[in-house]
Amino acid sequence: MSLSIPNLAAGTLLLAVTAYSVAGGVDFGAGIWDLIAGPGERGRRARELIDHAMAPVWEVNNVWLAFAIVVCWTAFPPLFQAVFLNLYPLFTLALIGLILRGAFFAFRHIAENPREHRAADLVFGISSVLTPFFFAACLGAIASGRVTTGPPPSVWEMCISPMSISFGLVSVAATAWSGAVFLVGDARRAAPDLVDYFRSRALWATGILIAVGTVALAAILFERPQLLAAMFTTPALVFVLAVMVLTPAAAILIWRRVFRWYRLLTVAGVGSLVVAWGVAQAPYLLPGRLTIDQAASSQPALILVLAVAAAVVLVVGPAFGLLIYLDQRTGLESPES
Amino acid sequence: MLLDAEPALLPSRILMAFTLGSHILLVPLGVALPTFTLIMEGIGIFRKDATAIKIARRWSVVMAVQFAVGAVTGTILSFEFGILWPKMLGRFGAAFGLGFSIEGLGFFLEAIFISIYLYGWRRLSPRLHFLAGLALPPAGLLGAFGVLAANSWMNTPGGVTIEPNGALDVDVWAALFTRALTYEFWHFTVAIYLTAGFVVAAIYAVAWLRGRRDHYQRLGFAVPFTVAAALAPVEVLVGDLSARALTSDQPAKFAAMEVTWRTQAYNPEVIGGLMDPSGNVHLGIPVPWLDSLLVGYSPTTIIRGLASFAADARPSTVEANLTHLAFDLMVGLGTAAALLTVWYFWTLIRHRRLPDSRWFYRVAALAGVGAYVSVEAGWVTTEVGRQPWIVYGAMRVSDAVTNAPAAFVWTLLATLAVVYVVIAAFFVTLLLRLAARWRREDVATAGGVKAPEEGVPYGPPR
Repeated sequence: MSLSIPNLAAGTLLLAVTAYSVAGGVDFGAGIWDLIAGPGERGRRARELIDHAMAPVWEVNNVWLAFAIVVCWTAFPPLFQAVFLNLYPLFTLALIGLILRGAFFAFRHIAENPREHRAADLVFGISSVLTPFFFAACLGAIASGRVTTGPPPSVWEMCISPMSISFGLVSVAATAWSGAVFLVGDARRAAPDLVDYFRSRALWATGILIAVGTVALAAILFERPQLLAAMFTTPALVFVLAVMVLTPAAAILIWRRVFRWYRLLTVAGVGSLVVAWGVAQAPYLLPGRLTIDQAASSQPALILVLAVAAAVVLVVGPAFGLLIYLDQRTGLESPES
Repeated sequence: MLLDAEPALLPSRILMAFTLGSHILLVPLGVALPTFTLIMEGIGIFRKDATAIKIARRWSVVMAVQFAVGAVTGTILSFEFGILWPKMLGRFGAAFGLGFSIEGLGFFLEAIFISIYLYGWRRLSPRLHFLAGLALPPAGLLGAFGVLAANSWMNTPGGVTIEPNGALDVDVWAALFTRALTYEFWHFTVAIYLTAGFVVAAIYAVAWLRGRRDHYQRLGFAVPFTVAAALAPVEVLVGDLSARALTSDQPAKFAAMEVTWRTQAYNPEVIGGLMDPSGNVHLGIPVPWLDSLLVGYSPTTIIRGLASFAADARPSTVEANLTHLAFDLMVGLGTAAALLTVWYFWTLIRHRRLPDSRWFYRVAALAGVGAYVSVEAGWVTTEVGRQPWIVYGAMRVSDAVTNAPAAFVWTLLATLAVVYVVIAAFFVTLLLRLAARWRREDVATAGGVKAPEEGVPYGPPR
């Protein structure tokens, strides 16, 4: 792959999707654990911690998603048109999940009586499962090579396939995993009694992710063997191996209670998962139908997109560092009330 | 395929109008409240005024809640471009998306600096906190610039050439700075500050009417109201320039705004009224020659009428009436705001104090509502007046719409309507609760008071 301008723009799009998967994934994962925390004192404590961990970044991850969408339609308009014409049911379900989640996470903070509160919890939890499922199902449908550049012959055939379903399941497992891992960290800061609670969940999630991941590989072999072959040749192989090494490595650290690097390894693992798919699919945006060069906008528009992406990295990076620094300092304060 | 050419056109238009019309209500405070907050914080720092700091701190909380709600409704909009209008983005995404890419940068900056600003109240020195806050107004304006550049491009598309192979060649500079941006940017940016000023001041006008008349109330009223009042006459001028530019840039839109059917000189300015399909206007108050006079400073100025456009290249009768009434509403409210300015500055200069008449504060409270109404009216004018085009002269709305069945879009519309009610309920309840809590704290004696920004979205934890 050369460093041509269209390739750089495609890389930007992939990185934006990856950033959303990583940052949003931790958030969705927390929502999944909220859903299955169950009643009783322990469940209540777990939900409190999840609330505490999520409240400050409520909906801020949408920034990545909106950015990925804008990069897609500006840099690769035909891709944007094709995926939305073909996969609109999946995108719509993901969108509805996304906003129900945001709305009811907010709403449960102002719910007056326990019944309203429970209802809000339920909507929030269920949509935390559905949103990552449907977003990843879109990627699975794209990777399966079914998406055409014209209007679809059958939308349902387009949306429902072994690959879209298995990608969705991998995404749910991966978000549950990264959510639990980060909640281990939050518990260490704010609720030490819950560290083991989330430790065991993180380990279970690792096992499920490995199992579901294997199923997904089988689905790819069945539906699009070319993609599987590409995944096991360089450069995609590097990222596939990274997933296969990093996932158990993080689990071992958590199992052995070595509370260092485990979050970084998890982030790198989830990130590699997404990048592995993107790199294996290159140079195609729609496998077998639309390449990066075919879909790319004219050079000046791509350059503007790259300039904006560079500005995001240069300006937002340091600012984000400052924010994390301030957050950590607040976190170290003894609770006031 | 179905015989009906564009089955989802009607629900798609309603859905887009509903979600954009909701999102636009968040824009004025989203972009301008940081500026007012910084002015207030500046007063607090340089005049060592603890009350001003307290107000700034409370406004920063409203800012964060607003931003969180806007992030949700804004994300929905970005998806709707794909779900509802995929063919428009597929054809013109490279040009239309330029502004939105820049808006993306603004969105990132706002998200991060709002958090820093909120966390920073306790963690940064006052001076450093103020400096960090200075990033917010330009970030908001950058976002507004991006969205307005994209909207202006839809009104006066430029900077694109279609190559022989059908590909779109884009000149970034020309596509970003289209003719309409010159007036759309100033007209809407001034509207943003004007509206935010009137809306914030309205809350303190109500407090005055309820009997609160201390330093806190005076500061909270005077700072935003003075800015808004100073801008109101400016907006009348900028609006006038915008309308006049439309006579050449989008004559069909202008004809709809003035319900002008036949091309003619000595064109009257019709106030109110409805046009029937054959071009006769009923119930309106025509002011002879005024339209021609306003456009060309001479009664002989010829105004192009709707009848001179092909029926499929001009707004329908219903759309023209909607455009006309929205335009009149906006102009009427804008003129009223300018009169309020005269009243305010007359008292301020003549008596060297804030007004103290109940009627003034009643009108000031209504100005907050009126400002929101005129933002909506202005938006209806420009969007409905552009019909039937999604990209003026280049692509019709009906050619851009999704292939999804109408029932699908109707269902999405119903779902979103319910979700928006939930979001609105959350937003209003939270603001009312915060207001009630702050009132209680102001009445109670000192001690045991929580920092305003605790426990709100983007704010530090409880």
